[in-house]
Amino acid sequence: MRLDRLGGNWAWLAIALWAAALGGGFAILWRYEITPGAGGGPGGRWPAESSIVRPPGRPVLLMFAHPQCVCTRASLAELGRLKDRLEGRLAVIVVFLRPADADEAWDRSDLVARVAAMPGVTAVRDLDGREAARFGAATSGHALVYDAQGALLFSGGLTAARGREGEAPGARRIAALLTTGRADGTASPVFGCALRHGEAVEGDVLDGGLKGKSR
Amino acid sequence: MSTDSVSAATDAIVRRARERFEASWHHVCVATDGFFAKLMFGQWIFGILVALTFSPYGWEGKVRNVHLHVWIAVVLGGVIASLPILLALKRPGWVVTRHVIAAGQMLASGLLIHLSGGRIETHFHVFGSFGFLAFYRDWRVLVTASAVTAIDHLIRGIAWPESVYGILGPESWRVLEHVFWVLFAAIGLAVSCLRSLGEMRLIAERGAEIEALAEGEWRKSSVVDRVGMEATA
Repeated sequence: MRLDRLGGNWAWLAIALWAAALGGGFAILWRYEITPGAGGGPGGRWPAESSIVRPPGRPVLLMFAHPQCVCTRASLAELGRLKDRLEGRLAVIVVFLRPADADEAWDRSDLVARVAAMPGVTAVRDLDGREAARFGAATSGHALVYDAQGALLFSGGLTAARGREGEAPGARRIAALLTTGRADGTASPVFGCALRHGEAVEGDVLDGGLKGKSR
Repeated sequence: MSTDSVSAATDAIVRRARERFEASWHHVCVATDGFFAKLMFGQWIFGILVALTFSPYGWEGKVRNVHLHVWIAVVLGGVIASLPILLALKRPGWVVTRHVIAAGQMLASGLLIHLSGGRIETHFHVFGSFGFLAFYRDWRVLVTASAVTAIDHLIRGIAWPESVYGILGPESWRVLEHVFWVLFAAIGLAVSCLRSLGEMRLIAERGAEIEALAEGEWRKSSVVDRVGMEATA
């Protein structure tokens, strides 16, 4: 079809339609990036039934991760920066989901390799997401910080948006908590893949408030 | 030769120089439109490959689905490339075509940055794009490109401040640093565009003068030939 048959203004009409389509497309993309995963519901203390051994004598950060979740790359990058910033004040454990019927390829992910290469970070497998259920984590990248007595200090994510590295409220709050003992109450939603099928409930934002020893 | 005839001859040279300059610049713009049509198509395919490499699947437990980034790369990437390619093919050399291409190129940069997970290396695409846009030798195209980048951040900052967190947050100085380097590149290229156009004008003037001289010589020789033929007849 010859476009000129549509009249001399077809190009302007096309530009208007193009701009509208781009506005809609980028809005979908941005909305996706800032929509957090399901919040889960961690309790106030380290679950007694957990098989994960809590390192004694210092606070511990647990991060629940899906080994195939691309958004979690950013969470792990922020975790690495936070760990370096806190210089050993914090024990770090990354808990990787492993479905019971998953094949060997499941664990061969760049995320698992990345954690294995992080000095001082322990990686553990979470068979069928049982530990995630015990700790109330529903989204990959969910970080929980417990004090030396096992009380929950922080629950939330470390990134500001989905797959976005850079300064984020969650990591800043954890650093403030462990260095000054105080932090603001800004929400720290978790951005990542759902750890269980059917849990990717959009808009179920973590309160991100300080739990346990709120200060 | 009278003053009027000198003035008329000068006007003719100036007019011809302008015609030569405009034809030359139009040729440059048509060629650059064609270049961007191919580049836009290539970037679309590249964006899809980036999405398939960096984020092929989204997961819910052990259930996987094609990641939204892949659909975005196919559909939104296709939309971004579509109009610049269409205008480059149907309206090459039109001033609006190159501004649409500039906008599309910067949006393609933004999309690639998203698809690569915000990798700092992908931000170099912005600077490469500015360099390519300078092929038009039109500094206003660089203004459009800068404006699209600014509007992108402005709209996101107002509607979804979380998506530009760090820009509004404590790292705002870093964004200003990015803006400074973008302006640094844009200003340098704009100066280069103006210089290039100045050289094109000079070449056009020289060409018009040579044309006028050649035409004068031809007329003179025609008169001499005619007089000679009349004398021998």
